[in-house]
Amino acid sequence: MTTEKKALIKVDGLYKYFGSNRVLKGISTEIDAGEVVVVIGPSGSGKSTFLRCLNLLEEPTYGEVWLENKLVTPVDPYLHPDVIELSKTYQSLFASEKAKSNGRTDEEIKAGLIAKIKAEDLLNEKHEGRAYKSLMKKIYSENYINVNLARQKIGMVFQQFNLFANLSIIDNITLAPMKLLKLRRSEAEQRAKTLLERIGLADKAQAYPSQLSGGQKQRIAIVRALAMNPDVMLFDEPTSALDPEMVGEVLEVMKELAKEGMTMVVVTHEMGFAREVGTRVVFIDEGVIQEENTPVEFFSNPESPRLRDFLSKVL
Amino acid sequence: MKDWFADISAQFKLNFIDGNRWQWLVEGFRTTLIIAFFATILGILIGVLIATIRSTYDKTGESLKKRGGIGVKIFGIADRICKLYLTVIRGTPMVVQLLIMYFIIFKSSTRGTLVAIISFGINSGAYVAEIFRGGIMSVDNGQFEAGRSLGFNYIQTMIYIVIPQMFKIVLPTLCNEFIVLLKETSVAGYVGIRDLTKAGDLIRGRTFSAFMPLIAVALIYLVVVIILTKLVGILERRLRRSDH
Repeated sequence: MTTEKKALIKVDGLYKYFGSNRVLKGISTEIDAGEVVVVIGPSGSGKSTFLRCLNLLEEPTYGEVWLENKLVTPVDPYLHPDVIELSKTYQSLFASEKAKSNGRTDEEIKAGLIAKIKAEDLLNEKHEGRAYKSLMKKIYSENYINVNLARQKIGMVFQQFNLFANLSIIDNITLAPMKLLKLRRSEAEQRAKTLLERIGLADKAQAYPSQLSGGQKQRIAIVRALAMNPDVMLFDEPTSALDPEMVGEVLEVMKELAKEGMTMVVVTHEMGFAREVGTRVVFIDEGVIQEENTPVEFFSNPESPRLRDFLSKVL
Repeated sequence: MKDWFADISAQFKLNFIDGNRWQWLVEGFRTTLIIAFFATILGILIGVLIATIRSTYDKTGESLKKRGGIGVKIFGIADRICKLYLTVIRGTPMVVQLLIMYFIIFKSSTRGTLVAIISFGINSGAYVAEIFRGGIMSVDNGQFEAGRSLGFNYIQTMIYIVIPQMFKIVLPTLCNEFIVLLKETSVAGYVGIRDLTKAGDLIRGRTFSAFMPLIAVALIYLVVVIILTKLVGILERRLRRSDH
């Protein structure tokens, strides 16, 4: 179950249904370290849902999300092929299948059986001795990452900022590093102050979120995520809730981040940002990736008529 | 006028001074405060527990169900028990609950005050639970998501972010609930507990004059409630100020 190519984030066949509403219909892509992927698309196209699936704020209906070759999406480790093979259910089924094999190889029978067991949930005897359990544990630790741990490595910035209303700015930034990374208060505050100075808001350390402007809040929100030293940053329409004159200051911070080599996935309507900062632009519509390309190609030679139509409306 | 005055003071003497009857009121008032105070604490404990179970189940039940396992089943049963508790407690009169507690469940107990504390606490817990749950639900979901996105688990997010904000939202409502509870303890006399109301009634029975003792009782409740309401008002203004 290991992937060969070392992508930072790998998305495989992502589906998300909200009841009968099919928002994502099979998205697969890879995001390498250092990439700035800009996701655009009409509203309701599923681009925000896609982003929120990356750190499991939305749990995908089907599909896998991998972070640094570890599976983030919840999968029952009991359904790992190696584990299934050890179960009595599998062994008895295998024996009976083999008896009437009709010339199929063992490998073919095995693949068919495992698919059948997964699909029909035939594995009702889940605890079968120590070997079974220790293998499961090993497979789990080698292949899966706890979602909370994964989220520590995936920073996220929201459209509505979502600064903690009950905490001052400095506490907003230091809370997670202190509680999760176990930094001492002095260390965490030092880190926070350095970050605040970079965005020019050091004087707001003791203020509360409600005292700040939208642009300031969003810059703080970026810093709060950065304080966890994430490997990748997700931006969910970070400038859509801002007054026009504040969009620039937020984009400026994001540009600097990109320059420093931060891996970023940005859902936005800012085409200028996509063109200037993005290394790849992805167009999502009706729940699938319609087109993706380098910014230059993307904007000058759009291939699909749908994208051409979209670009003619927004540019 | 003079006669009226003389009459009043004679009444006063009869009802409060003679036989040190004012002490009954003091004793009763003390009992009322004890019941209200400890029932409040019990109510908060029950309320927090129930609100936690209910809102956690509301928030995470769906995704837990998909994963299956014994934990979800226990959780589901706990949620159903909570709902049953809320329905029964909020759907029956306090007096009936008190009578059932005193004459059926704690039949052998002689400690009336304790039984009253338990039944008022259980009663209040149901209302407090709904207040807390409403508070948790009214904290913007973005706050919760921001906490989770940083890597906090469900419980950490609740403790560090949601519950502090919830408290700020529900504090005034919660205080009002306790004012209601204080007044509600007046039915404790039904099971022979000498609370404030019962004390006034006992004086009335002894002196055969209803006006003085009952008005005195009413005034005591009124003064306490006015004081508490003032305090809640101050608290509310304080909280609003920190909102900027």
